[in-house]
Amino acid sequence: MTTDDQASDVPPYAAAVRAALSDLPHDQAEALLEDLEDHLREIAAEAGASLTERLGPPEQYAQELRAAYGAATSGKAQREPALRNLQRAIGSVTSSVWYQQLRAFLPELRPAWWVLRAYLVVLILTAALSPGYNLHPIPNPFSSRGLLEILATIGAILFSIRLGRRSHPLRPGRRRLAIGANVVIALLALPVLASMGTFPSFAMVESGAPEQSPDFASPYSLGSVTNVFAYSKDGKPLTDVLLYDQDGRPLTLAKDPDRTTDYPIGADGQPITNAYPLNQRRLDGTPVLQPRVAIPPWPATAVPASPTASPAPSPTR
Amino acid sequence: MGQPELDTSQLLKGVLDLAVLAVLAEADSYGYDVVRRLRENGLDHVGDASVYGTLRRLFQAGALNSYVVPSDEGPHRKYYGLNPRGRKALDQSAHAWASFSKALNHLLNGRSNGHDH
Repeated sequence: MTTDDQASDVPPYAAAVRAALSDLPHDQAEALLEDLEDHLREIAAEAGASLTERLGPPEQYAQELRAAYGAATSGKAQREPALRNLQRAIGSVTSSVWYQQLRAFLPELRPAWWVLRAYLVVLILTAALSPGYNLHPIPNPFSSRGLLEILATIGAILFSIRLGRRSHPLRPGRRRLAIGANVVIALLALPVLASMGTFPSFAMVESGAPEQSPDFASPYSLGSVTNVFAYSKDGKPLTDVLLYDQDGRPLTLAKDPDRTTDYPIGADGQPITNAYPLNQRRLDGTPVLQPRVAIPPWPATAVPASPTASPAPSPTR
Repeated sequence: MGQPELDTSQLLKGVLDLAVLAVLAEADSYGYDVVRRLRENGLDHVGDASVYGTLRRLFQAGALNSYVVPSDEGPHRKYYGLNPRGRKALDQSAHAWASFSKALNHLLNGRSNGHDH
């Protein structure tokens, strides 16, 4: 009794009804229209005529629904032709097959979002709590900070999954709040992620290309840098250069497990760990050679270079 | 339009809840079946959307319970039935309707009596 012709009547008709009621609050519209399609299919199966012939135009059907359901009558929305066209356009998109398939598939990605949002929240909090801190996509697990970040991320992921998997559905008001919170997380993450890209990335430093000079504007990005070589602008290598960060703390590098470092001992008997380049040997005892570097040509307009690379073999504290 | 003639659909609006509750009191039913049974009982002008909207509203108000019955051919059917609250609403509405129609009948009879005498 059901011909394909009549059954195919249902999606566009239902979409037009939904579009005409699109000014209703989401949860109210959902409660009203939950099984509209099933209901219309029932009618389409029975009747010989098209849905429009049987039920009148979808806009009129929507008005009748609205009245019977006791929902607020739409005011301006129905009279604005531009808005109505937009609603109709949205309706035709939401009733298309690919949109339906996408809608059906999206819920399967939910667990991925639970993990991602936890990661993003920790990233946002880290960026907010320490503005100068240079974020990595993956924190360095050998620094206490990075370790803290990783542990916080794991904790947040567990909590986020628990939140996501709760069995009972939220009340409409709470649900809107939850959706809002998720959107806020996604929006806040955008600038944080964007700022992360402007620093030399962890992976680049890790590649160990000897030509790459680390960016001193971001000392903590030196994740796996094992040594630092300083040159004067005319290309002379500098030795025993003392480096400090913006807070005046000595800038030291994480220990490289493949190399041993001989630090110069100061007059007070303490090793000086921030004098570069470090004097390093491989585990088999052979010294680590200085890398070849490409010194950029200095601008010609600059004041004639005065060599300042006076070797200072005895570092002062 | 301001026509003096009585508009049945206007009348129906006020009592559609009662009519739907009464149909469901006979037997649990799904949307389109409710429409059909109302029409079989003489309410020819009942609109499909009105019935569907009324069912959803009564359900949201907690007067109905609902369950889905799968069908081999065609779509699944969502059946609605009265729960205790719905039954109570039906009793109260039926009572209100009885006294309302009694009053109106009395008025109308009085008019016709007046003509006769």
